Amino acid sequence: MAQATWPFFWFGNTTFGGGYITMIVLGRELVDRLKWITRQDFELAFALARVTPGTNIIAFCAAVGKILRGWAGAFSAVIAVTMPSAALAVLLMQGFDSWQGRPRVMAALAATVAAVTGAMWSTVWMLTRPHVGKWKQTCRAVVFMGGAFGAARLGVTPVPIILGALIFGYLWPPQPNEPEGSGERAG
Amino acid sequence: MNLFVLYLLLLKATLTSVSGLGSLPMVRQDFVVTRHVLTDHQLNMAVVAGRTGPGPYGIYLVCVAYAVGGVWGAIVGLLATITPAFLVIPLMHWVGAHAGKPRVRGAVQGLMLASAGLLLFASVPLARDAIVGPLTLILALASFAAITFTRLESMWVMFAAAAVGLIARMFV
Repeated sequence: MAQATWPFFWFGNTTFGGGYITMIVLGRELVDRLKWITRQDFELAFALARVTPGTNIIAFCAAVGKILRGWAGAFSAVIAVTMPSAALAVLLMQGFDSWQGRPRVMAALAATVAAVTGAMWSTVWMLTRPHVGKWKQTCRAVVFMGGAFGAARLGVTPVPIILGALIFGYLWPPQPNEPEGSGERAG
Repeated sequence: MNLFVLYLLLLKATLTSVSGLGSLPMVRQDFVVTRHVLTDHQLNMAVVAGRTGPGPYGIYLVCVAYAVGGVWGAIVGLLATITPAFLVIPLMHWVGAHAGKPRVRGAVQGLMLASAGLLLFASVPLARDAIVGPLTLILALASFAAITFTRLESMWVMFAAAAVGLIARMFV
Protein backbone atom coordinates (compact mmCIF):
# COMPACT_ATOMS: atom_id res chain seq x y z
CA MET A 1 0.00 0.00 0.00
CA ALA A 2 2.84 2.39 0.89
CA GLN A 3 4.38 1.80 -2.54
CA ALA A 4 1.08 2.53 -4.28
CA THR A 5 0.57 5.69 -2.22
CA TRP A 6 4.06 7.07 -2.77
CA PRO A 7 3.45 8.78 -6.19
CA PHE A 8 0.42 10.63 -4.76
CA PHE A 9 2.44 11.77 -1.76
CA TRP A 10 5.48 12.84 -3.76
CA PHE A 11 4.00 14.37 -6.92
CA GLY A 12 0.91 15.69 -5.11
CA ASN A 13 2.99 17.66 -2.67
CA THR A 14 5.88 18.78 -4.85
CA THR A 15 4.02 19.95 -7.96
CA PHE A 16 3.26 23.66 -8.08
CA GLY A 17 0.52 25.32 -10.12
CA GLY A 18 -2.67 23.56 -9.03
CA GLY A 19 -4.68 20.45 -9.75
CA TYR A 20 -4.48 20.27 -13.55
CA ILE A 21 -0.71 20.25 -13.54
CA THR A 22 -0.58 17.71 -10.72
CA MET A 23 -3.02 15.41 -12.55
CA ILE A 24 -0.92 15.58 -15.71
CA VAL A 25 2.32 14.95 -13.82
CA LEU A 26 0.71 12.01 -11.98
CA GLY A 27 -0.66 10.72 -15.29
CA ARG A 28 2.79 10.87 -16.88
CA GLU A 29 4.18 8.93 -13.94
CA LEU A 30 1.40 6.33 -13.53
CA VAL A 31 0.66 5.74 -17.24
CA ASP A 32 3.94 6.31 -19.06
CA ARG A 33 6.63 5.42 -16.52
CA LEU A 34 5.16 3.01 -13.94
CA LYS A 35 2.42 1.63 -16.26
CA TRP A 36 0.13 1.04 -13.27
CA ILE A 37 -2.94 2.31 -15.12
CA THR A 38 -3.90 2.59 -18.79
CA ARG A 39 -4.32 5.89 -20.61
CA GLN A 40 -8.06 5.15 -20.78
CA ASP A 41 -8.18 4.71 -16.99
CA PHE A 42 -6.33 8.00 -16.61
CA GLU A 43 -8.64 9.85 -18.98
CA LEU A 44 -11.74 8.43 -17.32
CA ALA A 45 -10.47 9.40 -13.84
CA PHE A 46 -9.50 12.86 -15.12
CA ALA A 47 -12.86 13.43 -16.80
CA LEU A 48 -14.95 12.23 -13.86
CA ALA A 49 -12.83 14.15 -11.36
CA ARG A 50 -13.55 17.24 -13.45
CA VAL A 51 -17.32 16.86 -12.93
CA THR A 52 -17.18 15.70 -9.29
CA PRO A 53 -18.02 18.45 -6.77
CA GLY A 54 -15.05 19.86 -4.89
CA THR A 55 -11.37 19.91 -5.78
CA ASN A 56 -10.63 18.00 -9.01
CA ILE A 57 -7.19 16.64 -8.08
CA ILE A 58 -8.49 15.14 -4.82
CA ALA A 59 -11.28 13.35 -6.69
CA PHE A 60 -8.75 12.27 -9.30
CA CYS A 61 -6.55 10.70 -6.59
CA ALA A 62 -9.59 8.98 -5.05
CA ALA A 63 -10.48 7.51 -8.46
CA VAL A 64 -6.96 6.33 -9.31
CA GLY A 65 -6.39 5.05 -5.75
CA LYS A 66 -9.60 3.03 -6.05
CA ILE A 67 -8.42 1.54 -9.37
CA LEU A 68 -5.08 0.57 -7.81
CA ARG A 69 -6.04 -0.70 -4.34
CA GLY A 70 -9.80 -0.41 -3.77
CA TRP A 71 -11.35 1.82 -1.09
CA ALA A 72 -8.23 1.70 1.10
CA GLY A 73 -6.17 2.87 -1.88
CA ALA A 74 -8.63 5.71 -2.52
CA PHE A 75 -8.50 6.89 1.08
CA SER A 76 -4.71 6.69 1.40
CA ALA A 77 -4.17 8.47 -1.93
CA VAL A 78 -6.47 11.31 -0.83
CA ILE A 79 -4.75 11.66 2.55
CA ALA A 80 -1.29 11.47 0.94
CA VAL A 81 -2.08 14.24 -1.53
CA THR A 82 -3.81 16.63 0.89
CA MET A 83 -2.37 16.38 4.38
CA PRO A 84 1.24 17.55 3.83
CA SER A 85 0.26 20.40 1.48
CA ALA A 86 -2.50 21.46 3.92
CA ALA A 87 0.02 21.67 6.76
CA LEU A 88 2.41 23.63 4.53
CA ALA A 89 -0.35 26.01 3.42
CA VAL A 90 -1.21 26.80 7.04
CA LEU A 91 2.48 27.50 7.76
CA LEU A 92 2.74 29.67 4.63
CA MET A 93 -0.32 31.67 5.70
CA GLN A 94 1.33 32.39 9.02
CA GLY A 95 4.53 33.49 7.25
CA PHE A 96 3.03 35.80 4.61
CA ASP A 97 2.40 38.81 6.81
CA SER A 98 6.03 38.95 7.88
CA TRP A 99 7.41 38.22 4.38
CA GLN A 100 5.51 40.93 2.54
CA GLY A 101 8.01 43.65 3.45
CA ARG A 102 10.97 41.63 2.10
CA PRO A 103 11.75 42.46 -1.55
CA ARG A 104 13.99 39.43 -2.12
CA VAL A 105 11.28 36.99 -1.03
CA MET A 106 8.72 38.80 -3.16
CA ALA A 107 11.12 38.67 -6.17
CA ALA A 108 11.52 34.91 -5.71
CA LEU A 109 7.72 34.53 -5.48
CA ALA A 110 7.19 36.63 -8.65
CA ALA A 111 9.67 34.43 -10.53
CA THR A 112 7.85 31.32 -9.30
CA VAL A 113 4.51 32.71 -10.53
CA ALA A 114 6.08 33.25 -13.99
CA ALA A 115 7.29 29.64 -13.98
CA VAL A 116 3.80 28.47 -12.97
CA THR A 117 2.47 30.18 -16.12
CA GLY A 118 4.88 28.09 -18.19
CA ALA A 119 3.76 24.99 -16.31
CA MET A 120 0.13 25.79 -17.21
CA TRP A 121 1.03 26.03 -20.92
CA SER A 122 2.83 22.72 -20.57
CA THR A 123 -0.32 21.17 -19.09
CA VAL A 124 -2.40 22.46 -22.03
CA TRP A 125 0.11 20.86 -24.39
CA MET A 126 0.08 17.52 -22.55
CA LEU A 127 -3.73 17.42 -22.37
CA THR A 128 -4.01 18.10 -26.09
CA ARG A 129 -1.14 16.05 -27.50
CA PRO A 130 -2.77 12.56 -27.27
CA HIS A 131 -5.75 13.82 -29.28
CA VAL A 132 -3.79 15.42 -32.12
CA GLY A 133 -2.58 13.37 -35.07
CA LYS A 134 -4.56 12.64 -38.21
CA TRP A 135 -6.29 15.55 -39.92
CA LYS A 136 -9.83 14.72 -38.70
CA GLN A 137 -8.59 14.00 -35.19
CA THR A 138 -6.75 17.33 -35.07
CA CYS A 139 -9.82 19.19 -36.37
CA ARG A 140 -11.88 17.62 -33.61
CA ALA A 141 -9.33 18.71 -31.00
CA VAL A 142 -9.26 22.27 -32.36
CA VAL A 143 -13.08 22.49 -32.33
CA PHE A 144 -13.40 21.30 -28.71
CA MET A 145 -10.48 23.30 -27.39
CA GLY A 146 -11.24 26.42 -29.39
CA GLY A 147 -14.92 26.17 -28.52
CA ALA A 148 -14.17 25.99 -24.79
CA PHE A 149 -11.70 28.87 -25.03
CA GLY A 150 -14.13 30.99 -27.05
CA ALA A 151 -17.07 30.25 -24.74
CA ALA A 152 -14.98 31.17 -21.68
CA ARG A 153 -13.95 34.38 -23.43
CA LEU A 154 -17.62 35.20 -23.99
CA GLY A 155 -18.18 34.87 -20.23
CA VAL A 156 -19.71 31.38 -20.07
CA THR A 157 -18.82 29.72 -16.74
CA PRO A 158 -16.83 26.41 -16.72
CA VAL A 159 -19.72 24.13 -15.65
CA PRO A 160 -21.89 24.63 -18.78
CA ILE A 161 -18.76 24.46 -20.96
CA ILE A 162 -17.77 21.12 -19.42
CA LEU A 163 -21.32 19.76 -19.75
CA GLY A 164 -21.46 20.99 -23.35
CA ALA A 165 -18.15 19.25 -24.13
CA LEU A 166 -19.48 16.00 -22.65
CA ILE A 167 -22.65 16.16 -24.74
CA PHE A 168 -20.88 17.14 -28.00
CA GLY A 169 -18.18 14.54 -27.37
CA TYR A 170 -20.90 11.91 -26.94
CA LEU A 171 -22.64 12.99 -30.15
CA TRP A 172 -19.36 13.31 -32.11
CA PRO A 173 -17.26 10.28 -31.07
CA PRO A 174 -13.67 9.76 -32.30
CA GLN A 175 -12.98 7.67 -35.40
CA PRO A 176 -12.67 3.93 -34.60
CA ASN A 177 -9.14 3.79 -36.08
CA GLU A 178 -7.75 6.61 -33.91
CA PRO A 179 -4.76 5.65 -31.72
CA GLU A 180 -5.73 4.71 -28.18
CA GLY A 181 -2.64 5.81 -26.24
CA SER A 182 -0.29 3.55 -24.39
CA GLY A 183 0.05 1.90 -20.99
CA GLU A 184 -1.12 -1.40 -19.53
CA ARG A 185 -2.40 -1.77 -16.01
CA ALA A 186 0.15 -3.44 -13.80
CA GLY A 187 -0.28 -2.05 -10.27
CA MET B 1 -17.60 28.83 15.84
CA ASN B 2 -18.97 25.31 16.41
CA LEU B 3 -16.78 22.81 14.53
CA PHE B 4 -19.77 20.91 13.15
CA VAL B 5 -21.24 24.14 11.75
CA LEU B 6 -17.81 24.96 10.32
CA TYR B 7 -17.70 21.53 8.64
CA LEU B 8 -21.19 21.95 7.18
CA LEU B 9 -20.47 25.43 5.84
CA LEU B 10 -17.22 24.30 4.20
CA LEU B 11 -18.89 21.16 2.86
CA LYS B 12 -21.66 23.28 1.34
CA ALA B 13 -18.99 25.41 -0.37
CA THR B 14 -17.10 22.39 -1.76
CA LEU B 15 -20.23 20.54 -2.86
CA THR B 16 -21.42 23.50 -4.89
CA SER B 17 -18.18 23.99 -6.84
CA VAL B 18 -16.23 21.89 -9.33
CA SER B 19 -12.80 23.45 -8.97
CA GLY B 20 -10.36 24.32 -6.19
CA LEU B 21 -11.14 28.02 -6.01
CA GLY B 22 -14.71 27.70 -7.29
CA SER B 23 -15.97 27.70 -3.71
CA LEU B 24 -14.48 31.13 -2.98
CA PRO B 25 -17.63 33.27 -3.55
CA MET B 26 -19.67 31.07 -1.21
CA VAL B 27 -16.93 31.00 1.44
CA ARG B 28 -16.71 34.80 1.36
CA GLN B 29 -20.48 35.13 1.61
CA ASP B 30 -20.75 32.73 4.59
CA PHE B 31 -17.64 33.60 6.59
CA VAL B 32 -16.93 37.27 5.77
CA VAL B 33 -20.27 38.83 4.85
CA THR B 34 -22.88 36.85 6.84
CA ARG B 35 -21.09 35.56 9.96
CA HIS B 36 -18.16 38.02 10.25
CA VAL B 37 -15.79 35.32 11.53
CA LEU B 38 -13.16 36.16 8.92
CA THR B 39 -11.89 39.39 7.34
CA ASP B 40 -11.27 39.86 3.62
CA HIS B 41 -7.55 40.15 4.40
CA GLN B 42 -7.53 36.76 6.18
CA LEU B 43 -9.47 35.21 3.30
CA ASN B 44 -7.00 36.71 0.84
CA MET B 45 -4.04 35.33 2.80
CA ALA B 46 -5.68 31.88 2.86
CA VAL B 47 -6.12 31.96 -0.94
CA VAL B 48 -2.53 33.14 -1.51
CA ALA B 49 -1.22 30.39 0.80
CA GLY B 50 -3.27 27.78 -1.08
CA ARG B 51 -2.01 29.00 -4.45
CA THR B 52 1.61 29.58 -3.55
CA GLY B 53 2.40 26.21 -2.01
CA PRO B 54 2.39 22.86 -3.81
CA GLY B 55 -0.72 20.69 -3.92
CA PRO B 56 -4.38 21.41 -4.66
CA TYR B 57 -5.63 25.03 -4.70
CA GLY B 58 -8.69 23.80 -2.78
CA ILE B 59 -6.41 23.44 0.24
CA TYR B 60 -7.04 27.14 0.88
CA LEU B 61 -10.18 25.94 2.68
CA VAL B 62 -7.96 24.38 5.35
CA CYS B 63 -6.36 27.80 5.87
CA VAL B 64 -9.82 29.37 6.10
CA ALA B 65 -10.82 26.77 8.69
CA TYR B 66 -7.56 27.30 10.58
CA ALA B 67 -8.17 31.05 10.72
CA VAL B 68 -11.68 30.41 12.09
CA GLY B 69 -11.11 27.44 14.41
CA GLY B 70 -7.37 26.92 14.99
CA VAL B 71 -5.81 23.46 14.66
CA TRP B 72 -9.11 21.58 15.17
CA GLY B 73 -10.67 23.91 12.64
CA ALA B 74 -7.92 22.98 10.14
CA ILE B 75 -8.63 19.27 10.67
CA VAL B 76 -12.35 19.87 10.12
CA GLY B 77 -11.46 21.95 7.04
CA LEU B 78 -9.39 19.10 5.63
CA LEU B 79 -12.27 16.66 6.17
CA ALA B 80 -14.71 19.02 4.43
CA THR B 81 -12.27 19.43 1.53
CA ILE B 82 -11.80 15.71 0.92
CA THR B 83 -15.36 14.43 1.61
CA PRO B 84 -16.88 15.25 -1.83
CA ALA B 85 -13.92 13.64 -3.64
CA PHE B 86 -15.23 10.15 -2.80
CA LEU B 87 -18.36 10.80 -4.89
CA VAL B 88 -16.14 10.06 -7.89
CA ILE B 89 -16.01 6.35 -6.96
CA PRO B 90 -19.69 5.42 -7.59
CA LEU B 91 -19.51 7.68 -10.65
CA MET B 92 -16.45 5.78 -11.85
CA HIS B 93 -18.15 2.43 -11.24
CA TRP B 94 -21.19 3.48 -13.25
CA VAL B 95 -19.39 5.19 -16.16
CA GLY B 96 -16.44 2.75 -16.12
CA ALA B 97 -18.73 -0.12 -17.16
CA HIS B 98 -19.34 1.72 -20.45
CA ALA B 99 -15.87 3.25 -20.86
CA GLY B 100 -14.98 1.20 -23.94
CA LYS B 101 -17.94 2.49 -25.98
CA PRO B 102 -16.93 5.01 -28.66
CA ARG B 103 -19.54 7.55 -27.58
CA VAL B 104 -18.41 7.42 -23.93
CA ARG B 105 -14.79 7.74 -25.08
CA GLY B 106 -15.88 10.68 -27.21
CA ALA B 107 -17.49 12.37 -24.20
CA VAL B 108 -14.36 11.82 -22.09
CA GLN B 109 -12.07 13.12 -24.84
CA GLY B 110 -14.34 16.12 -25.43
CA LEU B 111 -14.08 16.96 -21.76
CA MET B 112 -10.27 16.60 -21.78
CA LEU B 113 -9.96 18.96 -24.75
CA ALA B 114 -12.44 21.46 -23.32
CA SER B 115 -10.43 21.40 -20.09
CA ALA B 116 -7.32 22.24 -22.11
CA GLY B 117 -9.16 25.16 -23.70
CA LEU B 118 -10.38 26.39 -20.32
CA LEU B 119 -6.90 26.11 -18.85
CA LEU B 120 -5.43 28.05 -21.76
CA PHE B 121 -8.04 30.75 -21.17
CA ALA B 122 -7.26 30.81 -17.43
CA SER B 123 -3.55 31.20 -18.16
CA VAL B 124 -4.12 34.46 -20.09
CA PRO B 125 -4.76 36.77 -17.10
CA LEU B 126 -2.17 34.91 -15.04
CA ALA B 127 0.41 35.43 -17.79
CA ARG B 128 -0.54 39.11 -18.03
CA ASP B 129 0.15 39.53 -14.29
CA ALA B 130 3.20 37.29 -14.12
CA ILE B 131 5.09 38.26 -17.27
CA VAL B 132 6.22 41.80 -16.61
CA GLY B 133 9.54 41.88 -18.44
CA PRO B 134 12.11 39.88 -20.42
CA LEU B 135 13.27 37.87 -17.38
CA THR B 136 9.79 36.64 -16.42
CA LEU B 137 9.04 35.87 -20.10
CA ILE B 138 12.21 33.77 -20.33
CA LEU B 139 11.33 32.02 -17.05
CA ALA B 140 7.81 31.17 -18.29
CA LEU B 141 9.12 29.81 -21.63
CA ALA B 142 11.96 27.90 -19.96
CA SER B 143 9.50 26.40 -17.46
CA PHE B 144 7.22 25.32 -20.33
CA ALA B 145 10.12 23.68 -22.18
CA ALA B 146 11.58 22.00 -19.09
CA ILE B 147 8.29 20.47 -17.95
CA THR B 148 7.08 19.51 -21.44
CA PHE B 149 10.21 18.13 -23.05
CA THR B 150 12.25 16.78 -20.13
CA ARG B 151 11.50 14.49 -17.18
CA LEU B 152 12.45 17.22 -14.73
CA GLU B 153 10.00 17.46 -11.83
CA SER B 154 8.12 20.74 -11.63
CA MET B 155 9.34 21.28 -8.05
CA TRP B 156 12.93 21.73 -9.30
CA VAL B 157 11.76 24.02 -12.08
CA MET B 158 9.98 26.21 -9.50
CA PHE B 159 13.00 26.24 -7.19
CA ALA B 160 15.27 27.17 -10.10
CA ALA B 161 12.90 30.00 -11.10
CA ALA B 162 12.81 31.28 -7.50
CA ALA B 163 16.63 31.18 -7.37
CA VAL B 164 16.90 33.12 -10.65
CA GLY B 165 14.40 35.70 -9.35
CA LEU B 166 16.34 36.06 -6.12
CA ILE B 167 19.71 36.42 -7.88
CA ALA B 168 18.27 38.92 -10.34
CA ARG B 169 16.90 40.98 -7.43
CA MET B 170 20.31 40.96 -5.75
CA PHE B 171 22.40 41.93 -8.77
CA VAL B 172 20.14 43.90 -11.11
